[in-house]
Amino acid sequence: MFIFGGLIRAADANFPIYFPNSKVVVKAETFNRVTYLPLKEIIEHMGLPYTDALALETLTIRSGNNRLVVTKNSALISYNDQIVLLPNPILREDGRWLVPLEFLTTGLTRLTGTEFRYRPGTSRIFADNVDAPELEMNAQTLGPITRLTIRCGAALKLDVKRDDQRAVVSIDHAPVDPARERLDLRDRLLRSVAFDDSNGEPKILLEITRDVADVRITPAENNRIFFVDLLRRGEPITEAVPPSLDAPATSPKPDTAPVERRVRVIVIDPGHGGMDVGTHNATFSEKDITLVLARKLRSALQMRLGTTVLLTRDSDIALDNEARSAVANNNQANLFISLHTGYSANKLDSGSSIFVMTENFGNAFTTTGTARDQLFLPWYLGYRIHRQGSTAAAAIFQEELSKAIPGWKFPVRTAPLAVLSSATMPSLLLEIGNLNNAMASQTLMDNAFQTRLAGTIADAVQRFSESPQAAAN
Amino acid sequence: MGFFVNIVGRVRSMVNERETEENPFKPPTQPLYAPTDPPISAKIFLPSASGDPLLLGQDDTIFKSAELTNRARQILQKLQEVPQLDAIVPPLPKDTKIQDLFISEQGTAFIDFSNTIATGHPGGVLNEMATIYSIVDSLTYNIPEIKQVKILVGGVEKETLAGHCLLLLPLEMDLSITNVMPREEKTALLK
Repeated sequence: MFIFGGLIRAADANFPIYFPNSKVVVKAETFNRVTYLPLKEIIEHMGLPYTDALALETLTIRSGNNRLVVTKNSALISYNDQIVLLPNPILREDGRWLVPLEFLTTGLTRLTGTEFRYRPGTSRIFADNVDAPELEMNAQTLGPITRLTIRCGAALKLDVKRDDQRAVVSIDHAPVDPARERLDLRDRLLRSVAFDDSNGEPKILLEITRDVADVRITPAENNRIFFVDLLRRGEPITEAVPPSLDAPATSPKPDTAPVERRVRVIVIDPGHGGMDVGTHNATFSEKDITLVLARKLRSALQMRLGTTVLLTRDSDIALDNEARSAVANNNQANLFISLHTGYSANKLDSGSSIFVMTENFGNAFTTTGTARDQLFLPWYLGYRIHRQGSTAAAAIFQEELSKAIPGWKFPVRTAPLAVLSSATMPSLLLEIGNLNNAMASQTLMDNAFQTRLAGTIADAVQRFSESPQAAAN
Repeated sequence: MGFFVNIVGRVRSMVNERETEENPFKPPTQPLYAPTDPPISAKIFLPSASGDPLLLGQDDTIFKSAELTNRARQILQKLQEVPQLDAIVPPLPKDTKIQDLFISEQGTAFIDFSNTIATGHPGGVLNEMATIYSIVDSLTYNIPEIKQVKILVGGVEKETLAGHCLLLLPLEMDLSITNVMPREEKTALLK
């Protein structure tokens, strides 16, 4: 990453746009965390006439009698003299017009009637009713083999090429719409699995180890399901589990079934805000750190799971605890995460904890109260409905965080927490770091650490999402 | 002219003598126990510096005053007097005062702390829990008549002390965060 004309620029990436009978691969650029696409390449591919007025710093695109005008460094575009606001400004760098992704749906769709579909976190766009069957991947260790199961809504033809460290499974159908961009399984034979169509040709890249003797592809269900088996060196190949949809009793069924993700809406609560700064040291305040972390976590979750992620606050405002859990309740969230930082009197303590609601909080009030008390029963017991789910989520979070951040402990604790008490979904509070520990607070403010932390929490959410406890919601 | 100056002086002194949190109305101090009250042992729960367990039970002595509220005040006084030690952290922010304390027939102790308990609190969930449960556990463990504790701040109900732990419902003893066993479990073990 480097500073470029006052903008923070990240690495470029290829971005295929699939039209019904054609495709164009453009180079997307990221400035200030916003993905930009080169406009001229897209409109030239669509055959739209345009005028680039250097003096006026505008670009006018025409389609029939309609006219769309964009201006350098402005988020306002003019469609037939009607002003439309984009979330981010349009840029002009080195003679290239760069537009944020939203320009396609807000600008080009109005001008041409072409609909564009984009899933946040992915790097491809589908235009109009282009045929893009969904592709699901699932990897599993099955005794001596590691199996990648590929399931697609349309019949495919796959081919595999491999060397010592890589196997490339090419797919003859373009485009396809992968449900997941990559898989997490890592075992003796497999290092990573990732979908890639950066050149417009869809393929699955497998990083494999030297222990892999052979890679075999077996089709099933009229070429809609494929089993890609990695066979271990030294194992008799005949012992490999024969691929079959009627899996033997010992073979876990989920391999052939698509992984159902049950967490669809996640609400993240950046703790404190406004006048309520939370804990603080000479340099940092809890309210600022939690907001930064929440925004990073939102991006990570959207990218990883494609779920709806809402923040209880996206600016420096004060909110009471009831309002925070109300955001989760009102949006039927499947998971609620409140982010906080700690402050321990012990300067050497890293001070992290994962909190769930105290098990029997409010019991005395509800069981021994008089009939009159029952009339005024407060809404602080909503947590009870999903406390078991909250505990399960906390255990998964503990495992993932302890694994990813060695040296920091993440004990699961219970507390009568105001923000969790009326949340009617699995919910937990993460208290990360100790602002009284100079090193821990520096680490917390480190951009790379924050990204790693957000990625780890996203991993934990993904695991929880696929667990039976999430289904209870 | 002299009269005017005098009036200004009187108004000024009245303003200065106004009843505030820093300068509250002070009734004559009543002793919390009589000279004839026998000493009894008490377990005072204090935040540990290590955080594991969160609270450490420390043996101390109070006097068995006839009034339960006076016994409760003696316990709270112990919490106010804790110095910063290697293994122990003071549970209450400096200069926290107990403005009022009464115990209901149902066994709920209502304690009204001065605003300092919230404004002087460093924050953090664990710290907040340590403050709250050092009060709740010390009172409920030593005075069985107190079943639960309701904490008020500055004379009113507060949702939380420092943004985390819910204070709107009375809180019961929680020894799971301490190094002390519940009395019944301890008795069962001794048998």
